[in-house]
Amino acid sequence: MAAPTDLRRRLLVTLAGFGLLTAVVCVTAPLVGSTTIHLSRVFNRAIPFADNVDAQVFFVARLPRVLASALVGSAFAIAGVVFQAFLRNPLASPDTLGVSSGATLGAVIVITFHIDTAVLGVSAVPVATFAGAAGALGIVYAMSIARRRGTSSTVLLLAGVALTAFLGALNRFIQVIGDYTDTFRSIRWMMGSMDVGSYTDIVVALVPIAAACVAIGTLPRELDLVSIGAEAAESRGVDVRRAERVALVSASLLTGSAVSLGGPIPFVGIIVPHIVRLIVGADHRLVLPAAALFGGTFLVICDVIARTAFGPAGMPVGAITAFLGGPFFLWLLFRRMR
Amino acid sequence: MVPDIPLRGILEAAELSFSYDRAARPVVNGVSVSVSRGTIVGLLGPNGSGKTTLLRLLSGTLNPDRGRVHLEGRPIATLSRRDLARRIAVVPQETHSAFDFSALEIVLMGRYPHLGAFELEGAGDLAIARRAMADTGTAALEDRRFAALSGGEKQRVVIAGALAQASDVLLLDEPTASLDLGFQFEIAALLSRLNRDRGTAMVVSTHDLNLAATLCTELMLLKEGRVIAQGATDTVLTPTHIRDLYGVVADVTAHPGAGHLTVVPLGRAD
Amino acid sequence: MAPVSTNALTGVASGRHEGTKSRSKLFSSRLRAFVALIALLMSSAPRAAASRIVSVIPATTEMLFAMGAGDRLVAVGSYDRFPPEVDRLPRVGALLDPNVERILSLRPDLVILYGTQTDLRLQLDRAHVPYYPYVHRGLADITQTIRSLGARVGVEAAGNTLAERIERQLAAIRTKTGGSARPKTLLVFGREPGTLRNIDASGGVGFLHDMVETAGGTNVLADVRQQSVMLSTELVLARAPDVIIELRYARGDTTAPEDLRAWDALPAVPAVRNHKVFMLQGEEFVVPGPRVVIATERLARTLHPEVWGR
Repeated sequence: MAAPTDLRRRLLVTLAGFGLLTAVVCVTAPLVGSTTIHLSRVFNRAIPFADNVDAQVFFVARLPRVLASALVGSAFAIAGVVFQAFLRNPLASPDTLGVSSGATLGAVIVITFHIDTAVLGVSAVPVATFAGAAGALGIVYAMSIARRRGTSSTVLLLAGVALTAFLGALNRFIQVIGDYTDTFRSIRWMMGSMDVGSYTDIVVALVPIAAACVAIGTLPRELDLVSIGAEAAESRGVDVRRAERVALVSASLLTGSAVSLGGPIPFVGIIVPHIVRLIVGADHRLVLPAAALFGGTFLVICDVIARTAFGPAGMPVGAITAFLGGPFFLWLLFRRMR
Repeated sequence: MVPDIPLRGILEAAELSFSYDRAARPVVNGVSVSVSRGTIVGLLGPNGSGKTTLLRLLSGTLNPDRGRVHLEGRPIATLSRRDLARRIAVVPQETHSAFDFSALEIVLMGRYPHLGAFELEGAGDLAIARRAMADTGTAALEDRRFAALSGGEKQRVVIAGALAQASDVLLLDEPTASLDLGFQFEIAALLSRLNRDRGTAMVVSTHDLNLAATLCTELMLLKEGRVIAQGATDTVLTPTHIRDLYGVVADVTAHPGAGHLTVVPLGRAD
Repeated sequence: MAPVSTNALTGVASGRHEGTKSRSKLFSSRLRAFVALIALLMSSAPRAAASRIVSVIPATTEMLFAMGAGDRLVAVGSYDRFPPEVDRLPRVGALLDPNVERILSLRPDLVILYGTQTDLRLQLDRAHVPYYPYVHRGLADITQTIRSLGARVGVEAAGNTLAERIERQLAAIRTKTGGSARPKTLLVFGREPGTLRNIDASGGVGFLHDMVETAGGTNVLADVRQQSVMLSTELVLARAPDVIIELRYARGDTTAPEDLRAWDALPAVPAVRNHKVFMLQGEEFVVPGPRVVIATERLARTLHPEVWGR
């Protein structure tokens, strides 16, 4: 491992390297697709937009998809890094504490009980997803601080596992009592989709994601210290309670926003932090920005595969991340067991 | 009401009391502590006697229900976390790293209270960390993965981290509990040397009576949250006190070869 | 359990009277004829007609009522809605959650279930209750099922009449629209309201596809060999349908036609540009039963308003 005082240099190299990769991928991705389009036509101002098929494919079908993938992938990756640090467990993910399950439950409730009102121009499903995520985190956090002074990570973990199981059961129950068309719609939603078709949804999700990123941006060193142990961090001068609160709330904001934009896409929050750590090491001051960039890149690439490699209809992007994630997760487990 | 204490020691506390659950009985009950500069105080007591809690109170991790802890005369509650961390460091019984930090990275974490919010470690910090690793004989382990080190190596690295962190007081919670005999000697010798060379005051909680005899100039015996004896090792480490504390009959003699008191347990007191 | 098609039988039974045949060939053809005759007798022997029928499938329930055998039903599935008489009958679950105890307690002599409900089949086998496995496929299978079900239940004549009438009416629609140009059609049966997300459309397989083709449209997704296609906005632009028809069939679905404005995000699509995006509401679109004629006619009217005048 390189000398840590090269940290400034390493940080610049990391940002430049991953930044370049992200830029290249995001610029290339809208050019790739199952339909052939011509860039000359896309940017030809002479053709009115309403008649320009190539432009619509680029600006309505593909570009929002790429941007949404980048945003969602980035959000899941950062949330994954934060959860792994605070739970002191490299196998943790945004799903571990039940936040993802809460988000899913929100969506399923809205779909099943036809609460299809639009709130401030945003349809009910994303709002409910968000609320579900926040609710789940609230429950977990309340459970873990209710008992003792300070938050034990084991208690948090167990509370999260129990909550995930409970919410999952509730989820299934609601689907069963619903109409088959609603069940179908729920299942469809749970497969995840980056095909947002508009920029409004992206901007709406961007606000909480940006806020969360700013909050987490104050904590990278604290993540290092907390990952060694809460008491160890405390004795080194970290305000662990505050850091934990900020981190977990922010990570849940990220997860909730990401799920409300693209659905509960699995494994991004586990795979990306690991790949990033293999490249830049364990220091969270490098891991966080790298994961933010690489998370976006990763999901953009997965989405490109999803929409081009499986015929005209494509595949849900969640299937691709699961295909990659499952074996990856097993490999990780075996590696740690050695 | 905290009585005035003459400021002899660097770390002082009077009538500390604390309970985790308001309703339950106090885990630490009216304990007074005085740690003089450059001394090594041993904290002895059976499981559940409150040793770990007392260390947490002394380090500021927990706030006492009654009494106050003073560092060089100032109540630690008035110090900022960073301030406190720069003066008092804790070496826990075990350190587990979930991620692949190198030994040097672990030691550098001790520099956290010395840096600003977004400040990165500089050459000075690196020099301090390296010196601490040299002092603990871990310089060769710098680039090794911390999680892959042996128990003794890990503890030495963590002690190096504590040295890089704080100058005044080291609090050690059963530092040799999970180590084999060889490493126990190693750590004891290391702590002794550090105390001599750097003048760091230490509070060492331990089960190991012989370690306490070797290392500590003063002892505090804790039973069910209360101090039953306190003072110089030679006067406090007696068969009566051992029987009182552990319910064990033991022989305490000055061993000519070892150069300090040795304790030989003989059997349970019935 | 499915009845042997009479056409196949008569073909064999009449035998082949060719010229020179070796002795063994003559013998084997006679053997075949003999076996076929026995089979014919067995199949046309009056099967015990069913008089206590359970149907968990909306399509078969409608078929039975249309054949005049509705009074033989003792229970229906959770999602059966038509005709109104079904509301008076007890419900015993559906595809995912059939209530076996309830079904058996009604002592049925025939249970109509989905071919994929293997658990239910096993349980009925154990209870020695006969069943009729239904498979949901294309338009032609609807009339085939009507005939076979009618025979099985004991109302063969009514079943045949119904099937013939449906085939005739569908053929009439086909003829009526046959002279006009066939618009490229996209048939959507699911979409997230207010957006163009999670669109489900009919692929080139299944009765929705068959209905579109019968109604005089060309399914833009005919090459996708699936019943249901997850449609991306890019695919819509690529296939450039002339007409988009959205089906709404959920009970109590009150989606306003304004929701179709979501398609305005893709103005290059001919259907959007020419304001040929329609919403059709009705359960007949998702029940491959006798009302498929109504459904197909509604599709045809939407695709070819010029032929229907008015």
